[in-house]
Amino acid sequence: MSTGATVEVRAVKKVFGTDDGALHAFGPAELRIGAGEFVSLLGPSGCGKSTLMLMIAGLLEPTEGEIFINDEKITSPRTDIGIMFQDNTLVPWRDIYGNISLQLELRGIDPKANADRIHELLRTVRLQGFETRLPHELSGGMQQRAAFCQALVHDPGTVLLDEPLGKLDAMTRESIRSDLQALWLQKNPTVIFVTHSIEEAVQLSSRICVVTPRPGCIGREIDIDLPWPRDAQVKRSDAFISYVRDIQEIFHGYGVL
Amino acid sequence: MATASSDPRVRRPGRPAPSMPRGMFPWLAQSWMLFAFFAAFFVFWELSISLFDVPAYILNRPSEIVVNGWADIDRLIRYFYITALETVLGYVVAVIVAVPVGLAIAFSSILRRTVYPFFVAVEMTPKIAFAPLFISWLGFGLLPKVIIVFLVCFFPIVLNAILAFGSLSEELTRFCRSTGAGWFRVFVKVRLPAALPQCFVGFKYAALNATVGATIAEFIGSDQGLGFYIQIMTGNMRPDLAFAGIFLLPLLGLLMFGCVTLAERLLIPWHISVRR
Repeated sequence: MSTGATVEVRAVKKVFGTDDGALHAFGPAELRIGAGEFVSLLGPSGCGKSTLMLMIAGLLEPTEGEIFINDEKITSPRTDIGIMFQDNTLVPWRDIYGNISLQLELRGIDPKANADRIHELLRTVRLQGFETRLPHELSGGMQQRAAFCQALVHDPGTVLLDEPLGKLDAMTRESIRSDLQALWLQKNPTVIFVTHSIEEAVQLSSRICVVTPRPGCIGREIDIDLPWPRDAQVKRSDAFISYVRDIQEIFHGYGVL
Repeated sequence: MATASSDPRVRRPGRPAPSMPRGMFPWLAQSWMLFAFFAAFFVFWELSISLFDVPAYILNRPSEIVVNGWADIDRLIRYFYITALETVLGYVVAVIVAVPVGLAIAFSSILRRTVYPFFVAVEMTPKIAFAPLFISWLGFGLLPKVIIVFLVCFFPIVLNAILAFGSLSEELTRFCRSTGAGWFRVFVKVRLPAALPQCFVGFKYAALNATVGATIAEFIGSDQGLGFYIQIMTGNMRPDLAFAGIFLLPLLGLLMFGCVTLAERLLIPWHISVRR
């Protein structure tokens, strides 16, 4: 059982230097995430959500401010995280099992000692029996489910998910949300989830950070107080619907919706 | 009592039609048009020679080419071997040298700004333009031909290798960085396999062009090999034997291409260009 890490974003700002001047992409923003929280960064496209994500991963340096994971300042790429993007990082020459084991092999961890873990993760996302399939033999939704396992197999304290469901059709997204939720409830890492789907954010998150249009700032933080696991029944509840409506109102105020 | 559904001749709805038997026969069934086309081409050639009364010192019938070529088969096989040796040596050395060079250029911004444009400029020069120089420097032997084949093969392999090693997706690059893996481990487990398909584009292109280098180098200065044979026989007004030599050249090219394609199937069976 992993324990989630705490993440702290202090006065972080990112400006990209371009040929025709500077592009203010994100911030300044403050954000405190407790261990084991599922926090969604919800905002319109181009608001800098992914930029913040890359800065938390240590893959991009903030122009100003500091980021801490477990009170440790980030100065280089973090290896205690799991990361996943809209385009998954499954490699086409390895089967599904091999792709998950790639995460371990790159870290110098013996994959054989973790075979049970890999099988357990695959069972959680309903992919047992597909271990020896190559990624192209799977549907887009199954690929993303396998990619979740790849991002989680090394038991990261923080999981960064950058629109992992972005390229899937609406029906597949619905069904995969519950897989993602099951994984989170099982391992309970700290999750930072980038999305522009309000419903998705309300269903999955313990807290939603609404990001304003560029330059993105954390506009509002909303605790989502709904029971777990959040199945179809919860989604029909009045509380769920009113959360969604409130957030729609916020974006309406920004002139986005 | 036989019902409609148990009768194997009756297709039940919702089931696909029985597939073609596997093995040699479907291949033959798909290729008969190609064979027919080749046959028609040679029959047309054979008949045209009589019809237009073409003299033997200009062009011969295919049947004469085969018969007269067969009479000289010992020499043809020896020369085929010489040309094949030049081609394969030049090609293999090009692969061995060009892939690491491409890798170095892909990862060094200094090399990319200096050597890379230089290579592009050299690629625009027909490599066979260097052939007379190499022969005047190094004589009639094997080495100048191997060098010309090497030059013909080297640049397409380098340019494709640069592209191959330089185009790992941003997502995979970030994923690898987040694992903290060292450069070598990332190279072996991710970069190299990801680069192979694009590398094979260069390998295949070079394999198809390698014989051009060997043949023309032999035209310019040699005392053996198929290029030498074709040139001598043309000068001797023996187009039949020149053609016998010419027919062997695509055979060499096909053998090379076949080997590379086989290697591709073995090394990257997962790639979209290979899988069926």
